[in-house]
Amino acid sequence: MHIKVLRCESCGTLDPGPRDLCAACQSDKLVLSEAPGAGALVSWTTIRRAPTRFKGQAPYVVAVVKLDAGLIITGRFSGTEENLRLDLPVEAVSEDEGAYTFAEKAS
Amino acid sequence: MRQVLIAGIGSTPFGRHSEIAIQSLAIRAADAAIRESGIDRKQVGALYLGNFVSGPLTGQEVLAGLVADGLGLGQIPCTKVEGACASGGIAFRHAYLAVASGMCDAALAVGVEKMTHADTATTTAALNCAMDNRSDGISGLTFPGLFGLAWQIHAERYGTSRDQVSAVVSKNKANGLLNPLAQMGANVGADQILQSPLICDPLRLYDCCPTSDGAAALLLVAADKRAELASSPVAVMASAQTRGSARIAGHPDLCTFDATVMAAQAAYAQAGISAKDVDFVELHDCFSIAEIIDTEDLGIVPRGHGGGYALEGRTRVGGDIPVNPSGGLLSKGHPVGATGLGQIYESVLQLRGQHPNQVRDAAIGLTHNLGGTGVACTVNILKRIDA
Repeated sequence: MHIKVLRCESCGTLDPGPRDLCAACQSDKLVLSEAPGAGALVSWTTIRRAPTRFKGQAPYVVAVVKLDAGLIITGRFSGTEENLRLDLPVEAVSEDEGAYTFAEKAS
Repeated sequence: MRQVLIAGIGSTPFGRHSEIAIQSLAIRAADAAIRESGIDRKQVGALYLGNFVSGPLTGQEVLAGLVADGLGLGQIPCTKVEGACASGGIAFRHAYLAVASGMCDAALAVGVEKMTHADTATTTAALNCAMDNRSDGISGLTFPGLFGLAWQIHAERYGTSRDQVSAVVSKNKANGLLNPLAQMGANVGADQILQSPLICDPLRLYDCCPTSDGAAALLLVAADKRAELASSPVAVMASAQTRGSARIAGHPDLCTFDATVMAAQAAYAQAGISAKDVDFVELHDCFSIAEIIDTEDLGIVPRGHGGGYALEGRTRVGGDIPVNPSGGLLSKGHPVGATGLGQIYESVLQLRGQHPNQVRDAAIGLTHNLGGTGVACTVNILKRIDA
């Protein structure tokens, strides 16, 4: 699936948002856009002690993903962290209140 | 800018202070600092108070004015500063600037936090206020989790092992046993650490600092006040503060904090020294792996060698570069707003030659305080006055 991102109309920079001004050129012409949800795993951890809001969901895996489009996204990984490795190809599979969940990319 | 001296220090023990109000903790530490200095409290021209989450956790704000009132200071500017876990270090820097600039001849920096009464989920949620909660926060990431992410990469890139990280825990826990202010000094070995429960893989319970109550305070004066002092002062050689990215998407590398790297470079330049001139370091080991990353970011250990230095004992007292002789956050505790000032308190004792875990011939000390996802950092360099 695609990921909702912000695109700067002035310089073309993509940003995971939310953001008021473009991080590269400080233009306020940021428009909602989409980027392909494919990328590579930067790192991960299993959260076993969660903050109040997510308490019922623990344990869960948080993943940092570098999208092929160049952006870094902090999201979830579907399932356990067994067999995860750095640079594992992943893709977004679902979204919940702005947070994306990734899974290993089907080969 | 004028030369600034640390003229008085005060601290409560770090740990559990269930029966004492947050402002009373701060007043105890600050009153001790004022009395030790010999300076008349009416000469204090400004107060900066470092605190992070007194609102959510204790329901009390306006702490700076409350504390000044309780101390019997004049009707001076009193300001609370907040920079997550770096709040104390930022309060110190503002007090330093107030004196260095000539705005006043004496200024007080106080830091305080009260956390132990709250349950873990509430505390975790309050601490998560230091994250960008419209981006990273919605994933369910926590601060231990951030360091779990960093650890995975450090281990992969540099071969940093569980035993190397455990050496940091064992060292700091043992250092804390010697420090009467420390919350949880202990003798813990690698096996015991490995048996403690996982918090955020690969971080286990012993890899995480405790939640703590506590306060620390420092009275700063202009160098021309030296003859009036009742205490043995320490000179401030440098006080630097920087900003890093507020969110993970802005960190090109999760294995280093650019705010630390830049603050250290600025502080070394201001002091006219290099990392090799530093005799000991009190740094921000909120988690075991953080100490390894911080030693590399501060330039006191070559990049990628933080784990090796720890396991070889090179960061112990008596080693090449003693790190956290106080026990650090892991063992002394982390009352968030007080931590940065507590580090300076410990360093002043070292430079006076009065520390319970004394580094031999300590002449120059460095303190490092990091907030949020590396969004705020302070680095201070302090010097024994005859050095």
